[in-house]
Amino acid sequence: MGSFLLVCRLGMRDLRHRPAQAILLLIAISAGAATLTLSLAVHGTTDSPYARTRAATNGPDVVATVFQGGSPAGPVASATPGVSNPTAGNDQANAAALAPLTDAPGVVAHSGPFPVTWRLLRTGRTTGSAEVEGRSATTASVDQPRLLQGSWVRPGGVVVEAGFASALDVHVGSLLNLGSISFRVVGTAVTAAIPSYPNTCGQAEGCFLANGVASHDPGLVWATQADVMQLTGTFGPDAYFLNLKLRDAAVAPTFVNRYNASNSPTAPVLVSWQNIQDGDAQTLAKIRTVLLTGSWFLALLALASVTVLVGGRMAEQTRRVGLLKAVGGTPWLVAAVLLFEHVVVGLCAALVGLVVGWLAAPLIDGPAAGLLGAAGAPSVTGTTVAFVAALALGVAIIATLVPAVRAARQSTVAALNDSAPRPRRREWVIRFSTRLPAPLLLGTRLLARRPRRLLLSVLSIAVTTSGLVLVAILIQHATATGWPLGPRLADATTIISVMLVVLAAVNAVFIAWTTALDVRHSAALAQALGATPGQITAGLSGAQLVPALLGALLGIPGGIGIYAAVKSGPGTMTLPSALWFLALIVLTLLVIAVLTTIATRIGARRPVAEVLQAEAA
Amino acid sequence: MQQEVVLALLAKEPAQGYQLRARLGHALGPLGEGMNDGQIYVTLGRLENAGLITRQGAPRTSDGPDRKVYELTPAGHERVSEWLAEVSWPKPDLAEFHLKLIAAAQAGLADPISIVDLQRRELLRRLRDAERAAMAEPEGSDAGLLLEGIALRLQADLRWLAACERSWIGRRKARR
Amino acid sequence: MNESGATLVSSRGLRKDYGSGEALVRAVDDVDLDLARGETVAVMGPSGCGKSTLLHLLGGLDRPTAGAVWLSGRRIDQLSERALAHLRRHEVGFVFQAFHLMDELTAQENVELPALLAGRSPQEARRRAGQLLEQVGLGDRAGHLPSMLSGGQRQRVAVARALANEPQIVLADEPTGNLDSTATLEVMRLFEALHASGLTLVIATHDERIAATADRLISMRDGAFIDETRLVGGTQGNLADIAGLGG
Repeated sequence: MGSFLLVCRLGMRDLRHRPAQAILLLIAISAGAATLTLSLAVHGTTDSPYARTRAATNGPDVVATVFQGGSPAGPVASATPGVSNPTAGNDQANAAALAPLTDAPGVVAHSGPFPVTWRLLRTGRTTGSAEVEGRSATTASVDQPRLLQGSWVRPGGVVVEAGFASALDVHVGSLLNLGSISFRVVGTAVTAAIPSYPNTCGQAEGCFLANGVASHDPGLVWATQADVMQLTGTFGPDAYFLNLKLRDAAVAPTFVNRYNASNSPTAPVLVSWQNIQDGDAQTLAKIRTVLLTGSWFLALLALASVTVLVGGRMAEQTRRVGLLKAVGGTPWLVAAVLLFEHVVVGLCAALVGLVVGWLAAPLIDGPAAGLLGAAGAPSVTGTTVAFVAALALGVAIIATLVPAVRAARQSTVAALNDSAPRPRRREWVIRFSTRLPAPLLLGTRLLARRPRRLLLSVLSIAVTTSGLVLVAILIQHATATGWPLGPRLADATTIISVMLVVLAAVNAVFIAWTTALDVRHSAALAQALGATPGQITAGLSGAQLVPALLGALLGIPGGIGIYAAVKSGPGTMTLPSALWFLALIVLTLLVIAVLTTIATRIGARRPVAEVLQAEAA
Repeated sequence: MQQEVVLALLAKEPAQGYQLRARLGHALGPLGEGMNDGQIYVTLGRLENAGLITRQGAPRTSDGPDRKVYELTPAGHERVSEWLAEVSWPKPDLAEFHLKLIAAAQAGLADPISIVDLQRRELLRRLRDAERAAMAEPEGSDAGLLLEGIALRLQADLRWLAACERSWIGRRKARR
Repeated sequence: MNESGATLVSSRGLRKDYGSGEALVRAVDDVDLDLARGETVAVMGPSGCGKSTLLHLLGGLDRPTAGAVWLSGRRIDQLSERALAHLRRHEVGFVFQAFHLMDELTAQENVELPALLAGRSPQEARRRAGQLLEQVGLGDRAGHLPSMLSGGQRQRVAVARALANEPQIVLADEPTGNLDSTATLEVMRLFEALHASGLTLVIATHDERIAATADRLISMRDGAFIDETRLVGGTQGNLADIAGLGG
């Protein structure tokens, strides 16, 4: 017990002695932990909520839609048993076209047809577009939306879908305008008949492009049928929805395929409940992929940062270890002290990451859900906690493993005398640098003393850049296919990008800082020999640009390659423009240069004499 | 001049007076310049009386060099062997200086610290001279080695004087 | 204070403090100093007396808490870092106790570094380095790494490096602190030669042997000057006596 307390004391003392290092380490690991928490929380949240909603609302097995003037994306041409083709050229949506479906084999119940129109929606603060479905005050037998707040539709009173309502920030009692008519919100509800906001336009129902409202993601609003007729006026409804319940819910896809075979544009378009569930799930699946890939990246970056930081101070650690051994510590005690510090930091980072992830999850998950359950509280389960803690600890331990083992096995005297390894003489570097102007001469020679650190810098910059490239491609891809990047996906991507940038910044700071620390002695000597601080900072920053450029150049194909490997399904990859890549490279170089300058400046504040006396080369 | 030194210089082979003089001068370098010729002959005389050397050859003429050849007797050889095996080191005179300081302080005759400073300055000057002489010698010369020994001795003495100064300053402070 | 050409370095009321309040340490306490051109001055004292700090202040490696320093008539304690670097390039050369040579550079590359930093062409810097190494007696070791040189040889390389930009004054901080007796002699010879060539030299040391070679010897304790000696003139006693040659 005594030795455990000793380990704790020594470890805590050291952490307090170097707080900046510990904090940076914390940030690095927390970012990775937070993203992992997020991705795990989002994982598998769709399935049960949808099932719950379906059960609670008596959701339909099949939804059929018929459009005014034909559906925008007509079904594939084929023989159509049992469905009569409505007359072509009819301007009005023909509810009659839906009638045969109610008697089709396998159908046990139905509700509707319900009239549907799309209108511009205005609240006091925002503008959106609404898909307005006309309902009666009585309970429908299939798909009766389940109220979360307030009451059902009545003349002048509409019910807004839950996800839509939270996006618009409206609640019971709010006023909104549909078209030019004012309505009051009397309730919010969820339904299983369409994917929740913002994917209302998902799946084969498509979105009606008339009235110029399709520029915004429409959300679902229920109103009385009379109100819908008032909105549509003489033109009549833009579409009709028909909800069907089958004897066997599982065969809905087969049912749908059979009836979608007609190639008439005015024939009804059918979707199964599985399609709808997928619609919901697809977004979340996309988000999940983004988050998961993001967290791997962040974990990699965190590992790189930690390694740079810990490995860079290995000489210090080894000497400390030698001291401990010299005063009687066993090799295991010594390794324990080393590990203890990083374990503490790792655990704190896991905690921070869990909290951040838990707080951020609603942004992505949210009552978004327009689905039941999960409303507001994303699931951070025990397994999530365990997983994240394991990751944080793992990173911390791996990074310390090498110095700990090495130190434990090394002879005490060797450890005590171990300064940083003597820089090897590289003939070509010396000869090459002689021709350079004084600042670059210094910078090149200073950096070339630690080739391993250089390599690590290149690698971390490469990893960061490929992450940023990956994110850019994802965004590009999502927007290019026309599928509007729902707010949730946008949020997820934003969160990942922000984390990535934060971690990249932390990494860059690490690199700049450890480099500046490492060259501190030589830089002080150079100052004593007549170099100005300006020359030194310029030289270091300038020389640091080479590995930065190399890293950026490696990262771009790296990111593209990873996307190509990870993406599911065929289809061409849409890449961001060449200009964007150029901008990324320039930005990377700029950031590295600035950070190195700052780090060196801070290091140069200590008087030269002090630095020279403090440590040997 | 230590008698045993002269004896030892004759151990290799007998020599005439002036040859002995030359051997000494060569070994001592600039330090030997102040050497008194007469001193050598006095020492030689004593050694002869003690039966450790013998003298042969023509008697000294009034205006000619001394042609007598000096040679070790068996007793002389024995004495040389004994002397080479002895380990006594020339005695430094620290006790005298130490007592000087104490006496001065007790009797109130002078400030011990001023005495120390004075002695320090003197030793520093001697050190400077010794080093100047040492650097004038070619590298690896015998005289150079001797001069280095002198310099190191002086350095050691100077360190002791610095310690004396610290100690006496401390005593003065304590008394206040 | 500044007679033309005669006084090279001077200081008035020079002070350097570390820490504050209870933990205040006065490393240099109110030092007035005048150094003539071509003089060799030794600053002696026990460790911690402030002699190294004084040297750093005179050479612009550190800033005083109070007081002023003049070099060649120009006041240097308020200069910017850039101007100080310029100073170190052209007027002041430094020799350290720990040599501070770069391990991965040969002797010649170490010596030519200040010249390269000052903007001289690589050829010229190399030529001058060769010259200087000859001057310190290491012409045949120009291509050796520091690890292959003895302590005395390394310090001589450091002295050559300090001379690379033809400084007016060389400041040596415990130059023989890490050297044995033979190496000390090597370095002493070198300093004598420099002195003879007219260079101004300030040596901080606790080694009496080095100090005795100076024209002027200043003793420091607790940051203040306590004694000054001019070591000229003959000695009262005979060297021969010390050697035990006395009758």
